[in-house]
Amino acid sequence: MLRGKLKLPEKARRAFPDRLGSIVAGFNEKDEENRGLNHGFELGEELETFQPNGFGLDRELDDYKVEDEKSDGELGFRAPQKPDRDGADSVSFSDVFAADEKRSDLEYEFSQKEINLEKLQRVASSGLPDGGGLRATAWKVIISSSFAHLQLLLGYLPASRDLWEKELIENQSKYAKLKEELLLSPSQFSKREDEPLRSNKQYAGSDADGQLARHDVSTDDHPLCLGQASVWHQYFQFTEILEQIDRDLLRTHPDMKFFSSNSSLSRKNREAMRNILLLFAKLNPVIRYVQGMNEVLAPLYYVFSTDADEKNAANAEADSFACFVRLLSDSVDHFCEQLDNSSVGIHSTLSRLLGLLKANDEELWRHLELTNKVNPQFYAFRWITLLLTQEFDLHSILRIWDCLLSNPFGVQEMLLRVCCAMLLCVKTNLLSGDFVDNLKLLQHYPKINIEHLLQVAQDISPDTSSFCLSP
Amino acid sequence: MVLVLAIGDLHIPHRAPDLPPKFKSMLVPGKIQHIICTGNLCIKEVHDYLKSLCPSLHVTRGEYDEDARYPETKTLTIGQFKLGLCHGHQVVPWGDLDSLAMLQRQLDVDILVSGHTHQFKAYKHEAGVVINPGSATGAYSSITYDVNPSFVLMDIDGLRVVVYVYELIDGEVKVDKIDFKKTATATTHSAN
Repeated sequence: MLRGKLKLPEKARRAFPDRLGSIVAGFNEKDEENRGLNHGFELGEELETFQPNGFGLDRELDDYKVEDEKSDGELGFRAPQKPDRDGADSVSFSDVFAADEKRSDLEYEFSQKEINLEKLQRVASSGLPDGGGLRATAWKVIISSSFAHLQLLLGYLPASRDLWEKELIENQSKYAKLKEELLLSPSQFSKREDEPLRSNKQYAGSDADGQLARHDVSTDDHPLCLGQASVWHQYFQFTEILEQIDRDLLRTHPDMKFFSSNSSLSRKNREAMRNILLLFAKLNPVIRYVQGMNEVLAPLYYVFSTDADEKNAANAEADSFACFVRLLSDSVDHFCEQLDNSSVGIHSTLSRLLGLLKANDEELWRHLELTNKVNPQFYAFRWITLLLTQEFDLHSILRIWDCLLSNPFGVQEMLLRVCCAMLLCVKTNLLSGDFVDNLKLLQHYPKINIEHLLQVAQDISPDTSSFCLSP
Repeated sequence: MVLVLAIGDLHIPHRAPDLPPKFKSMLVPGKIQHIICTGNLCIKEVHDYLKSLCPSLHVTRGEYDEDARYPETKTLTIGQFKLGLCHGHQVVPWGDLDSLAMLQRQLDVDILVSGHTHQFKAYKHEAGVVINPGSATGAYSSITYDVNPSFVLMDIDGLRVVVYVYELIDGEVKVDKIDFKKTATATTHSAN
């Protein structure tokens, strides 16, 4: 082999298993570059990316999967520690090269004046690198643009890089103002109203003892006021929703310290998420808050607040709110009970899923629909409304969302494809089981290789049998 | 932002059958965090009703209360404020500010809530504030028959207390607001 002739440094020699030792031209420099990159890379992540190309790295893949699980809680903090991990060294050179290429691709893209959205989405569909702010930035751009079908300016972060700074600041101030308007507690509200009063009369004479001055507020606001316009009344109407939100937040990703520990950081995170959800509930009186919205918010907030760029991470709350609103605006109809049976409701989406399945695998469709009568409502309802956040662990969710966001036709379209792929991937198990087995399998979806799943999803042919093609 | 309801001297069933309906419609569970009651409820049913509005209920003994186990005085700390509770029939002369001030200094509280006179009062003196929520049912007192139903709701927010006085005058609910701040240091006496 070439190894001996090239006199690779000790570390490098360990890094490359023999069978791939031939691809070492220019390797030395690459190695330096990698160590020098302050982002580092998630090796487990990259391995998964290249699994379908059959580099025969299954063995290592398993190891990294295990490590992934263990360090899930510190996902956001892995980047700086990367070079120290021993196990991290033995990865294939081509993976390193490809990951590196992807990272520099993205960075190049972001440094352009006008971002090529298609290219960004293409890169996203094969997985965005963790660490650094690349994923966060990419998501912000994609989420914003995919909802700008009416006007380019509707997007959160427009494709033109110059406008980013301005847009971010504008949005953050809008968010702060909204918070002030809607999230203030009534006593703080009344305190603000009293400021001008206080200066003129009230405290002039209150130095003296004696009867305290009274002000008639029968027509104004008071805590027991039952009027609709009363700040107090509105405040109390939301206490029930607030309790629900708090309860759900405590249950979000209980295995991750980022969300569920008692540390002040984790509490700050929960408080930020609570503000976002409450604000959303107040701005959308029709659907208010539905259990599960916290699960959709969690990956967004996580990615934005673990952004390596300090300034961006500090504004994670405002950014997550904006993106959360945009993301949900697409699927908001699913949450509204009255629309259940309409053409935009959840039932129609479920039947589209079945149509897709039928077009791709009639045997499985027949088995589920006719033989076992497994109604898609039993399993796919949660998949679709919560964008698959309840079916996989956070790391896989991030990867899947990369793919969902990469579809130029929108998140919902890709979501249906991924759901269909999920069914196809467990086809043999489904075919061999009865109603109870099928249901149990689909409601507790087994761990599978995410890259494989997404590959299947992308290969699915669209359902052209029905008239309503996706927008 | 803590809402505290100060209520008392209902004298149910001896002098009044029930709270006025307009008051009852306003007092719903879920809004109030504490209830402090000066006394003279007088029966257990009234105690249970108040408990249903809010689980944190504090009562002191009035001379007509059927339950002999209520204490004569009570102190509690809510937020930055120390509140004292006493029915008031023990303090003679009834309703006299100086005597109440003495009791307040004894209990060492910022706000003293006492009743018995069935007249709403809110006084400020150097040791603190004395609040009399009056009678919630408008029952006649040992002193007079001319009583308007009234109760008090305090919004304690940091060092500031907003006192909302609810009075039923000629069949209409009148709400008044009183604002005061506790000085940061107990010894200095100044307006903020």
